[in-house]
Amino acid sequence: MSFLQVIFRGLWRRPVRTGLTVLGISIGIAAVVALVGMSSGYEKSVSGQLDAIGIDVIVSNMQGGIMPKAFDESVRDRIAELPGVAEANGTLMQMLSVEDAPMMVVYGREWGSFTWDQFKLIEGRLPRDADEPAVVLGKLAAEVLRKKAGDRIQVETGDFEVVGIVDGQSVLENGAVNMPLPRFQEVSGYDGRVNFINIRVPGGSSPAAVDELCRTIEEMFPGLRAVKADQVVGTSQGFQMARAMSWSTSLLALVVGVLGVMNTMLMSVFERKHEIGVLLALGWRRSRIMALILCESAAMGFLGGIVGVVLGSVTLAALQMAPAVRGFLEPDLGWGLAASAISIAVGVGVISGLYPAWRSSRLSPGIALQG
Amino acid sequence: MNHREPATGEVPLFEAAGLAKEYDDGRVPALCGVDFRISEGEFVSIVGPSGCGKSTLLNLLGMLDRPTAGTLRYRGKPLHQTGDPASYRAREVGFIFQSFHLLPTFTIEENVMIPTFGFPATRAEKRRRAKELLEAVGLSHRLGHLPVKLSGGERQRAAIARSLVNRPGILLADEPTGNLDSKNAGHVMELLLRLQREHKTTLVLVTHDHGVAAHASRVIRMKDGRIVSDAPGTSAP
Repeated sequence: MSFLQVIFRGLWRRPVRTGLTVLGISIGIAAVVALVGMSSGYEKSVSGQLDAIGIDVIVSNMQGGIMPKAFDESVRDRIAELPGVAEANGTLMQMLSVEDAPMMVVYGREWGSFTWDQFKLIEGRLPRDADEPAVVLGKLAAEVLRKKAGDRIQVETGDFEVVGIVDGQSVLENGAVNMPLPRFQEVSGYDGRVNFINIRVPGGSSPAAVDELCRTIEEMFPGLRAVKADQVVGTSQGFQMARAMSWSTSLLALVVGVLGVMNTMLMSVFERKHEIGVLLALGWRRSRIMALILCESAAMGFLGGIVGVVLGSVTLAALQMAPAVRGFLEPDLGWGLAASAISIAVGVGVISGLYPAWRSSRLSPGIALQG
Repeated sequence: MNHREPATGEVPLFEAAGLAKEYDDGRVPALCGVDFRISEGEFVSIVGPSGCGKSTLLNLLGMLDRPTAGTLRYRGKPLHQTGDPASYRAREVGFIFQSFHLLPTFTIEENVMIPTFGFPATRAEKRRRAKELLEAVGLSHRLGHLPVKLSGGERQRAAIARSLVNRPGILLADEPTGNLDSKNAGHVMELLLRLQREHKTTLVLVTHDHGVAAHASRVIRMKDGRIVSDAPGTSAP
């Protein structure tokens, strides 16, 4: 008989109570997996999109919100003239309800700019020029909107023809509705305005030169932020806020988990006072009794962690299929997140078991044996 | 006192002087300054009515509790001042309780192995030892059964096997036949006596049953926390 067997026999004494406690922890862990998975999935989607388009520097006016504010598109011309800029173009992005889809990302892209280059046509064609009232749908957007090339689509006040379906090489691009910039400015009421300037620097530019370019842009246009593409996710206040919110909500769920396990373990110690007295009488050290309680508690955390990761993954998979999320969110459930979630669950178990373990170590065997 | 005095120069196994135990901040005196000696290999019965302090005395001998006054020497050394309770309980003494105190979620074999945790032996050796003892108490056919499947007499025999698994020099038995019918009580007493002789252990047995006490080589009678007599039993040489 091993110590591990003793631990699991202890948990098996009250299978329903152990099961409910494990379920309690698993709900907290599922919240961690779902919320953090969504937030990091969104970060991954944005990084993937920037990689796919090949943007080196992105200029926006975040102002602490998640959606950047629109600004005058003439900024693009002044940036394009700066040394160290190979190409600059403007994009107007909005999250809108499009027909039956509650929320879709809609882009107005400068016709002829590199932001159209990553599209691989699956069906139809790209717009012929900057003025054509035509949209190109990412393949996920086409699926959600149930459109094919040749169909009509209503975006805000405009009626457009779907001229093509494309593979955009990233989740955000595949979930987007794209049209020439002037057409989107017209129907969205943002005439002459954009909310992103996408910059490519000449090949071989040093990181220091790119940093210098960012500083120059921020000095020229107070209120705008110029960020290197690989730093967008790490430095954006919006992402930081989303990350903080997902972790703080998860923390609340975990606190509830800690209280649940602590309550179970305390009840278990009180109920098993007699058994603990027997073990002490049979020569078990107090440290071994403490280790037993802590390991039981940690084992419940471990089981709760595994169940929580499964529940969280199922939740993420269900969310991924939801029309409101599909197309602009790729939940990120990697081994790293699963391992972190299980480690957190074991930590919750150990922390919850500390006080009950200490209580168990204070029992006098003589008194405990009396009941 | 009428107990067997150790031979000159022989250190008694236990020697109590003014041993007292009070509960509830002194409001409940359980043991009121008792003096006694127990020699190695003796079979001592402690008898008396409920609440006379006999179980308290057994708890002090087993280091399950600490005295509030007086000293208890074990092989000449003050037990509660210098001894490591866990090591003492694991290596020196074996307990047998009235209610058997077998752990309900463990099989009989596992119950017998529980005191061996932390002992430097392989699992196979511990298992072999448990099997030998269960065979000795006539339970070799019950190894994989849970305690709930056993009769009272069988449970107590399993508890006796458990008490001997670490080869202790002392057996402390608290009303070992208290929950058994007379037939099973007789079998358990026969077993205890046989094993005590075979393993050459010191047996201190608490009982309120004078018939059971009579098996001992020495009978200590207690009343109101005091020893009122200490005389040879019927099996005294």
